[in-house]
Amino acid sequence: MVEDKKLILLKELLLTEDRVLINALNKKIKALESVIEQRKNLSLKVDPIIDVKLQEYTNAIPKTLSPMITESLKNEIQNSRDDVVDALYPIIGKMIKKYIQQEFKILSDRINQQLKQRFSIESLIRIFKSKFMGVNEESLFLQELARTAVQEIFIIEKNSGILKANFSKTETIDKDVLSAMLTAIKSFVEEAFNTGEEHLESIEYGLYNIHIQNFKSFYIAVVLHGVYDSAFKSKLKSKLLVFAENNISNSNHIILSKKLAETFNNDII
Amino acid sequence: MISSKKIVLLGHFGVGKSSIIRKFVSNVFSCDYKVTIGVHILKKEVILPENNNVSLIIWDLEGTDSLAELNKAYLLGTHSFIYVYDVTRPITFEILRENIESLKTLYPSTLIKTVGNKVDLLSISEREEHQKLIKLDNYLSSAKTGENIEQLFNDIAIKLIQ
Repeated sequence: MVEDKKLILLKELLLTEDRVLINALNKKIKALESVIEQRKNLSLKVDPIIDVKLQEYTNAIPKTLSPMITESLKNEIQNSRDDVVDALYPIIGKMIKKYIQQEFKILSDRINQQLKQRFSIESLIRIFKSKFMGVNEESLFLQELARTAVQEIFIIEKNSGILKANFSKTETIDKDVLSAMLTAIKSFVEEAFNTGEEHLESIEYGLYNIHIQNFKSFYIAVVLHGVYDSAFKSKLKSKLLVFAENNISNSNHIILSKKLAETFNNDII
Repeated sequence: MISSKKIVLLGHFGVGKSSIIRKFVSNVFSCDYKVTIGVHILKKEVILPENNNVSLIIWDLEGTDSLAELNKAYLLGTHSFIYVYDVTRPITFEILRENIESLKTLYPSTLIKTVGNKVDLLSISEREEHQKLIKLDNYLSSAKTGENIEQLFNDIAIKLIQ
């Protein structure tokens, strides 16, 4: 018994400090557990509110911040134009270089193709044409390489601007509105310069040209990409005259449009 | 096949020509006034019974104080004119009859409709006065409420395919 008491006493003497430490640790763990628990509970309640606010803020960014960002960007570009040019110059330069390289590759391929056909009928015709027209063969050769492509054709009633028929290789805006707008531009130019019997004959924009051929009650507008010189213009005029003579009496939009596609789909004028 | 018809809206500045067209084509109305410069062209297909659909190519001309100021080339080949005036501004309908008569003389085969717009701003008695002024086959409209807008273009489309 005495030994047991001694053992307990010894234990108390030896382990008192450890117990204090363990109690302190327990307290700290409990405090931490309660904090975590509290955060969990809080998070359950607060998170949805934060999400909604965050979403509202995200939605409002284009409206509230966009004008400010645009304005400050504008100012920045305005104030440091040279820096912007310095930054963009290499990128634009590379793009242009790449584009020119690509175009030269296409041209080179075409030249090689043509040279392979040096003794073809086309080549002999070109030589004959060159002698006959007094134009050097190289010019004719280059002209053939930069062949003009017909992108779109519209047959439009002269006064009302209503579309009679059309053929298009690309999808553009509404053809009826485009025809009316083209007529309005044409009317405006003809009226503004009081040209009397003179008519607007072409519109140029970037790499494209719109050839306009006037007839009595309608006109034909041809959107072209490529070289639009007087030789091509003359050939196109003749072709449109023949087309009008043979087909224009047909007032059916679908049939007339079909005829346009048959005649101008292959780009050969 | 859908036939296309050219409709031209005429009238003084700020009478609501563009608003009428916007209401009809896009079903929207805005109080912001943006002046039309030159011409603005829009299109809308009107669905009619027995597949007689008509595509209306609507030319919205800039407002002018008199018909003489209009670019005549814009009026050629028109199937129907819509002469719009503002019921709240007498200056826009002072010479209404003369203008309509003049249009009838210059374009005898073209359908002409008169529209008194902004009717939502009138009292009942004022409205009756205007109804007398424009006769029965014409319209009092409001681009704001949409009153008589669809009706106007539908009636024109029906008349034009007859």
